[in-house]
Amino acid sequence: MTASAMSRRRLLAHAARIAAGITVFAAAPACAFNPLPALPTRGMPPAEARIAWLRLLPDGRLQLLLPRQEMGQGISIGLRQIVAEELDCELERIEVVLPDTASIVPVKSTVGSDSMKDFAEPVARAAALLREHLKRGGADTEIHDQGQPVILRSLHGGEACRHVGKSRPTERIADIVTGKPLYAGDTQLPGMLFGLVLPAGAEPPEPVPGLRRVELSDGRRGLLSDHPGPLHAISLERPEAARAMPDLDIDAAMRRGRLEHRLRGDAVDTEAGWTLDRRYDTPFAAHAQIEPRSAVAQWHQRGADVQLEVWTGTQDAFFVRETLARQFGLSADRVLVHPCRIGGGFGARTIVRQELEAALLAEVAGRPVKVQWSRAAEFVNGFHRPPSSHRIRARLDGDGRITDWWHGFCSGHVIFTSAAMPPWMQMVTSLVKDPGVARGALPPYAAARMRVEFSDIRLPVDTGPWRGLGAGPNGFAIESAIDELAALAGQDPLQYRLANLDPQHERLKACLRRVADLAGWIRQPRMGGGFGRGVACGIYKESSFAAVIADIGIAADGAVNLRRMYCVQDSGLVINPDQVRAQIEGNLLWGAGMVLTERLPIEDGRVAAYTFADYPIPTIDAMPAIDIELIAPPGAAPAGAGETGMVAVAAVTNAIAAATGRRVSTLPYSPLSPT
Amino acid sequence: MQITVNGRPAEIPDPLADDPLLWILRETLGLTGTKFGCGQGLCGACTVHMDGVAVRSCQVRTADAAGHEIATIEGLAAGDALHPLQQAWIAESVPQCGYCQAGQIMAAAALLRHTPQPDDAAIDAAMAGNLCRCGTYQRIRKAIHRAAGQQP
Repeated sequence: MTASAMSRRRLLAHAARIAAGITVFAAAPACAFNPLPALPTRGMPPAEARIAWLRLLPDGRLQLLLPRQEMGQGISIGLRQIVAEELDCELERIEVVLPDTASIVPVKSTVGSDSMKDFAEPVARAAALLREHLKRGGADTEIHDQGQPVILRSLHGGEACRHVGKSRPTERIADIVTGKPLYAGDTQLPGMLFGLVLPAGAEPPEPVPGLRRVELSDGRRGLLSDHPGPLHAISLERPEAARAMPDLDIDAAMRRGRLEHRLRGDAVDTEAGWTLDRRYDTPFAAHAQIEPRSAVAQWHQRGADVQLEVWTGTQDAFFVRETLARQFGLSADRVLVHPCRIGGGFGARTIVRQELEAALLAEVAGRPVKVQWSRAAEFVNGFHRPPSSHRIRARLDGDGRITDWWHGFCSGHVIFTSAAMPPWMQMVTSLVKDPGVARGALPPYAAARMRVEFSDIRLPVDTGPWRGLGAGPNGFAIESAIDELAALAGQDPLQYRLANLDPQHERLKACLRRVADLAGWIRQPRMGGGFGRGVACGIYKESSFAAVIADIGIAADGAVNLRRMYCVQDSGLVINPDQVRAQIEGNLLWGAGMVLTERLPIEDGRVAAYTFADYPIPTIDAMPAIDIELIAPPGAAPAGAGETGMVAVAAVTNAIAAATGRRVSTLPYSPLSPT
Repeated sequence: MQITVNGRPAEIPDPLADDPLLWILRETLGLTGTKFGCGQGLCGACTVHMDGVAVRSCQVRTADAAGHEIATIEGLAAGDALHPLQQAWIAESVPQCGYCQAGQIMAAAALLRHTPQPDDAAIDAAMAGNLCRCGTYQRIRKAIHRAAGQQP
């Protein structure tokens, strides 16, 4: 009998002895203080608010109450692997539960690739405490993590691990491939109606058989139907006055005076000549997740007791609960939110819209109501990555080293999104720098003097977080400029990066060296033959590192074909390599999409996209072969892995420059666009 | 009105005859494995088979499905035995969020029916109408090769 089998048997025996089961409580991890919670980043919950992470049930089943939302990033399987490692049991013994808002205390939003970084250790500790408790044969029904010392087996990785460091497919994969209900829109309740809320000011359509017009308690109007067909025939296009779209032009902004927010403020000589003086622009971009927003709401009333129950795919179930409680004058415990698996998050599920619509409709219907946004609603009523405009000026010394770096940029808001903030708060936030716009704006390169500054500009189209926040646009600008500097210095772009990265970023250098080996990069191939190879690298949130090489071909009509992409990423200890690779595959394709197609059309200050024909995203024929390697120095803690590779955008544009001799300064790339 | 879904007849109330088949499958018959993604036939999430051919169920009038064999993701496995594509999808760990994958698998099943040994170009041509935002395309190719008995 193996040691682990013995352990399993012991677990089961103990569980069976304790009729009430065992629950392990731990404090929720702290997170960064957010002065203005436009998006609800939460602080440390009060000490008495303990999260139940693990439940060992009397029948021997072990439940992990997931303190995160699952949107395909694989956090369910990753945390499950950690629990199994600590308890030395089979993965199958652990059941992952997406808990409703009554089952755990509030935890922060599932955003920013934070889940493994913040939750691996507390979940490991809870499991380890349970293990030690069972070993002692303790009879307690509750275990509280009070910071007592406990040995963690899972977070050092290594050969001894059975589960950590092993590839496993995403949670519920068998249900996914057989079409079992998993997502909010799959919810079906007896007597359920279907509804939509008309945009404010929109005239209800002419009466259609089966459609009932209703007045909602927030003053809006809605439509109800006993089947969904007629609702999807309703057009969301509405005649409205044009809105002025502020010019997002960094040069005009810099001429108007000083940009508002400083990230680095060294005194650069602004009068002397520059080695490089280049403008970069990025457009609006949509999340375009394949699952359009959906929610089901149901009201319960027994006497004076009113309860609202909601099913939704959200990155923050507690924000949904609080928003609905406030809207309807309920205490938070009267609102129960059931989070469902999310059919694509990417930042899109961070505010409360369809949940409120379903609750308003269900309120007047007196029956459960399902709201299913159309694709047009996703584009027109959703929120989007703001456009950005960059000016990068740099000066080199005789050896090609950067003496002066001046990056000024402007962008619509990301974190302080108008989509989730009342106008007064929008006014206040113009005084505070938007950390989402700033993400990734500090280059990893050494420069004697560095000035990085920006202005965020309030736009009439709702903007907000999109995969990587500012990292994609800023990475595009910085890594394009670095590539040009290498050319101006007459150096190979990969060697140039190695020579000019700040010495503290050894881990990024290791990624660059390794990706050069992987791709066989000795020096950048000369231009010609319709082939180009480009490189880019970047750091996400000071803790995750990636280097990307892209090989592209240029067709006779100038169109770009991705041939192969290579990525080496260091996100510290990897719990599940397959899931991290999957995240990187997504990043590489998102980076490619930024170059190839993605530009959300805006007309008269409004989104003018209604279908995927108006906003094409990459299809399978755009997907190149991909080689990924994960590296990490021994002992490195797990870091976020889901957004680092967005810097791939610049590997592609640098490859286009290598192939054509034309620098890409405006996204998406068009063979006809000026350089 | 009667339609046949996964080999079983289903009564559909006449007033729903003009509704897209997608909504009848999901909300009348409770077969929610077929997903809504765009309602315009541009994303492939709602792909089902009509007489073995992949169609976008959001673009099929329910009345026009009468007299044809409709197959959805729920009918792809033979009892407990998963279809080779479903097995391959698990072996290649294809899904991330998973939302588009039922449509992807149904499109792939239709492809393998007429092209049992597809190369990458044939896969790309057949699957280019099925969008995945998570970026699982490389794994989709590998899984289709695996199900076709080829080296993934």
